[in-house]
Amino acid sequence: MQRISLTPRQNWQQTVESQGLTFHTLENGTPYWDESAAYQFTAAEIDTLEAAGYQLQEMCLAAAQHIIDEKRYAELDIPQFAVEAIEWAWNNEPPALYGRFDVAWAGAQSGAAPKLLEYNADTPTSLLEAAVIQWNWLKDMPSGLVSSKPDQFNSIHEKLIAKWKDIDPYLSKPIYFAALDNPEDQLTVTYLRDTAQQAGLETLPMFMQEIGWNDDQQSFLDPDEHPMFSIFKLYPWEAMLQEEFGPHALATYQVTRWIEPIWKMLLSNKGVLPVLWQLYPNHELLLESHFDDPGTMRSYVRKPLMSREGANITLVRDNATIVSTPGPYNGKQIYQALAPAAVFDNRHTVLGLWMIDQDCCGMGVRESFSPITDNLSSFVPHFFT
Amino acid sequence: MKRSTHVAAPLLAAAALSLLTGCRRPQMQRCVDENNNVVDDSFCKDQPSAQPNAQQNSNDPFHHFYRFYYGGWGGYGLGTQVGGGSYVPTPGARYTTRGGFGSSFAEGGSHSSGSGEGGGHGGGAGE
Repeated sequence: MQRISLTPRQNWQQTVESQGLTFHTLENGTPYWDESAAYQFTAAEIDTLEAAGYQLQEMCLAAAQHIIDEKRYAELDIPQFAVEAIEWAWNNEPPALYGRFDVAWAGAQSGAAPKLLEYNADTPTSLLEAAVIQWNWLKDMPSGLVSSKPDQFNSIHEKLIAKWKDIDPYLSKPIYFAALDNPEDQLTVTYLRDTAQQAGLETLPMFMQEIGWNDDQQSFLDPDEHPMFSIFKLYPWEAMLQEEFGPHALATYQVTRWIEPIWKMLLSNKGVLPVLWQLYPNHELLLESHFDDPGTMRSYVRKPLMSREGANITLVRDNATIVSTPGPYNGKQIYQALAPAAVFDNRHTVLGLWMIDQDCCGMGVRESFSPITDNLSSFVPHFFT
Repeated sequence: MKRSTHVAAPLLAAAALSLLTGCRRPQMQRCVDENNNVVDDSFCKDQPSAQPNAQQNSNDPFHHFYRFYYGGWGGYGLGTQVGGGSYVPTPGARYTTRGGFGSSFAEGGSHSSGSGEGGGHGGGAGE
């Protein structure tokens, strides 16, 4: 694994815009999509990451089963009123689509295994960057520039289309794709809609705020007053449950196919990290993690159970706080050992392993000058030889 | 070969073009009180949408009045404030009157924040 510097394509901004990435540059003017560099992997390293993704998925499903069996919902701050729907969804397996493991790894040369940082199992983004934009980038690279026969860990697009075909019989049509009104979320769901349509499914877009509820019909309604039975939402379950329509979503859960299903709350919650550590102590893919306190750890990260996007994270090294980020999240926190450094050219690198249902089939690389991946972190393409 | 053999996303490309050229989805319609705070739509029901003084009782200084508010900033969250829009709908525009989901990430919502991790710019509901 190495980071190599490259010359960006001429007019790269217009190129990626034409492919769907309008949010390629941050407000401070630095590229979010950064093709002035790329990460090069060996085929063996990609095999390692792929195997890690599969194994982590298996372990996370076991952790979800354990949480349900042992009723550990309170430890994860999951409200009791959601438990019935979670257990129904777990047992009846309504369609699930995707997730992204964030792992820290410095490549085979580190001598260590990839380490799980967290599982974005409910509302992962950076999808179109990983599936479409970096695929096109590699296609555009002149032969011999990055490698004579470069490949990329990225069959996300094909796997998404295949998965939609697979779950088609379990979904009424149209499938609604709902997200907030901002370019990143809208384009992410538009890409997912695109893959669903290419699989032959009828779809409709809408904003989350447009979802209506009709008491008489006991049904969610689209803006044309049609009942909605299949809804992909790029919106976290923990937020939905706190909002006005949350009780309706639970009351009608068995007749509405929400993607992702509500049991994903168990895995997108940071509380799954100490549960995994309890179930698989000292596993090479895991970082030591605890509820309540750091135990004997002197260097660790403190994360709220429900925090998102790098907010409210505190890094402690040798019992001294070195970085702390602001944000709106409070409540219970977990303590996770600091991951071994994965730093290339002074940039902290995080690898996002994409799961399409049970298939680990792609990767996106984020990097930042801060050890906490946040909204200033860039997406950098990758390839392997 | 671990790479997709073919990647085409025409809908995505068209959506990006729409965003870049300023094409927008329908604007929001919310029922607000005299201070532009969002209230339940039922307060504005059966009122002409362009009537700024709907349900106003001028003899009672404590009596609230309600009217629809179109477009601008702010979301659908009850009690949140809106602005930058108009009490008169734009001719030809389509408006929505919902909002039971989405308030957590609106300005002032429990998840509203300027920082982000998973995607490019933060402020969204993805990560």
